[in-house]
Amino acid sequence: MNLPNGSEILIESLERQNAKVIFGVPGGVLLPLYDALYKGDLRHVLVRHEQAAAFAADGYARVTGQPGVCVGTSGPGATNLITGLASAFMDSIPVVALTGQVTTDMIGKDAFQEGDTIGISMPVTKHSFAVRTAGEIPDVIRQAFQVAVSGRPGPVLVDLPKTALVERADPDFASEPLVSQPERLKEWRDTDIERAATMILESRRAVLYVGGGVISSGATDELRVLAELTGIPVTTTLMGLGAFPSRHPLSLGMLGMHGSYATNLSICHSDLLVAVGARFDDRATGRVKDFASQAKKIHIDVDPSEINKNVRVDLPLVGDAREILRALIGEVGGQIRRGRRVAHDERRKWLEQIESWRTEHPLNYDREASCVKPQYLIEVLSEQAEPDAIVSVDVGQHQMWAAQFYRFSQPRSWLSSSGLGSMGYGFPAAMGAQVAFPDRQVIAIVGDGGFQMTLSDLATVSEYGIPVKIVVVNNRSLGMVRQWQHMFFDKHYCDVSLGRVPDFVKLAEAYGISGARVERRVDLKDAVADFLSGHEPRLLDVRVDPEENVFPIVPPGASLAEMLVEPPVLVDKK
Amino acid sequence: MPPEQDIFSDGDALVQVKLLHEANMQWIIALEADNNPIVLGRLLNALRRKGVGINTLTLGTRTTELSLMALVESPEEIVEHVFNFLRRMEGIRDVTYYRRESSGMACFIFIETDDNSAVVKILGNFPLSKLVFASQGKYLVEIGEKRGAASHKALTAEPGFLSFARVRTSSLTAGMPDLTEA
Repeated sequence: MNLPNGSEILIESLERQNAKVIFGVPGGVLLPLYDALYKGDLRHVLVRHEQAAAFAADGYARVTGQPGVCVGTSGPGATNLITGLASAFMDSIPVVALTGQVTTDMIGKDAFQEGDTIGISMPVTKHSFAVRTAGEIPDVIRQAFQVAVSGRPGPVLVDLPKTALVERADPDFASEPLVSQPERLKEWRDTDIERAATMILESRRAVLYVGGGVISSGATDELRVLAELTGIPVTTTLMGLGAFPSRHPLSLGMLGMHGSYATNLSICHSDLLVAVGARFDDRATGRVKDFASQAKKIHIDVDPSEINKNVRVDLPLVGDAREILRALIGEVGGQIRRGRRVAHDERRKWLEQIESWRTEHPLNYDREASCVKPQYLIEVLSEQAEPDAIVSVDVGQHQMWAAQFYRFSQPRSWLSSSGLGSMGYGFPAAMGAQVAFPDRQVIAIVGDGGFQMTLSDLATVSEYGIPVKIVVVNNRSLGMVRQWQHMFFDKHYCDVSLGRVPDFVKLAEAYGISGARVERRVDLKDAVADFLSGHEPRLLDVRVDPEENVFPIVPPGASLAEMLVEPPVLVDKK
Repeated sequence: MPPEQDIFSDGDALVQVKLLHEANMQWIIALEADNNPIVLGRLLNALRRKGVGINTLTLGTRTTELSLMALVESPEEIVEHVFNFLRRMEGIRDVTYYRRESSGMACFIFIETDDNSAVVKILGNFPLSKLVFASQGKYLVEIGEKRGAASHKALTAEPGFLSFARVRTSSLTAGMPDLTEA
């Protein structure tokens, strides 16, 4: 019998896990794997840099909920994947990264393109597997997918020496389940749910504080039911955008450093905070000791290590958010039916108070300006995009404006490197999302700084006809850094001007992609309509006001209550 | 733990170090893990990142598993978090932590010695006692009964004996913790 080699076993193992596509770049030790890909049916998308492969796999995973797969060769191929894996780790995104490794007899001898991939990847993955033989591959791949999706999802790396990819083995697939199923901790009891329901019903000024965990557990319907049943307003983190419809009357939008005035004040004045799949990170909390300091706190999270990590809570519920929210809905409904009094008047007053804060300081900008204000660009995109459009952003000012002004209607349609904040993410992540859903509209909103970090993959979308729509929010600078230098470093602008920004339209055309430019407000709507039409990749270079800054902003080290809602009057020290 | 600014605004470096040291709590981590250097590497890296100082660490290895016990120091407020962090790590099981306890609540004695006769003596004197961990001159002995103040004093007076109470465990087979429910 002609036994398969390790590469063929790997391909079959991936297919058994329902993997549909791999993003990657080949290299010396991966030649056997690419030979197996050549002979097989598994789709491979050749990107132009391994970092883009990891970001694309992340984007694929965020929109599908299934692990994204990326591959890089030994040494530099593997190290180039690391930023993408670190981003996926921070945002709890299931990614399986395959890396080539030198032959087992050469490991540790500083061979050509050898790198300690396991050692380098350990801090930024849930687990790293070091394969030694071809026979191990089926079990390792099954475990890798299982670990990636179980509990709190995250990236997993599988390091594959060339010897394992070449040697022949009799694979044992028989005992495996076809596709790994997530396993989730359950550490709550019915009495905890009763207590949580009582806390919710007794509260007067409660807020639901929602993170990406609600999306990864598929709990968005349950969240909406609980909010409507109790009348509790919902704020989301950057990762939680899309978990609750932006247009819903109970939506508060995003909280934190660039959260709105009403949202941040509602946190400050709340008497109960129900955190669901959120990790109390510093960008959300501001000065942590003052975060929701008047509120009792319930923390629902699948990861026990998040409990009391940053903020001490009164009631932790460790488990799957969807299961817990379902139990809570049942218990809250039951207590209401059994006659528990709900403070309707106080709750109505609470919502009125929030509305008055919203009226006092709405998210706003100069709507009469003749130049293109970036916030206006986001509003126009939000109006004209298809209802199920996927939006992928880079990192910086444009990311925050998108978070503030885009109207989200469904989960798994917002891609952002939120925890790591990795510039260069937006475009390749959009590419991965578009590969997952070829017929949906996918819009990459990127800054001119971040886009220049990964724009070489214009070649990839052009080559494969991946119809991503790329909007460059072009302010000719590293805008967020510039804003901080402006506000907190006495306008000492040091190396934030990007100076000779390339002509992005010509650049796109050089890659065979049609491009257009907008410089005036009056031209924007038509340009966006034209840009969003068609089913091929396009680029729109929008020259926005370079002086515009993101407000509100919570200064570093300040509490949410100390946010600046508009530019401060700066005293000229000279 | 003193506020950060209090520590670092003091000009005397020795005082600063002492303040930090005093704010730390001594505790024991015991766990079972896959016998896999990747798991061990991740574990030690996690302790480093969380700022957990290792006083002593010892491993007992079997074919597919290893047991680890470490006497560590860290600020008290992160102990629960570190425990939870470790128990969710891939390849790690049955994490237990023990807190230094000088009261009669202490049911565990940590002994570091090259001469195991002291351990044998305890096991003989306390019929319900058992050896929880033993490797490379480090022993953790469960006394198996709540001891009175007198016997506690006698035990902890022995050089190299440190008394502990089990606080939390993720092990399903372990008995109930002494201080709080797991």
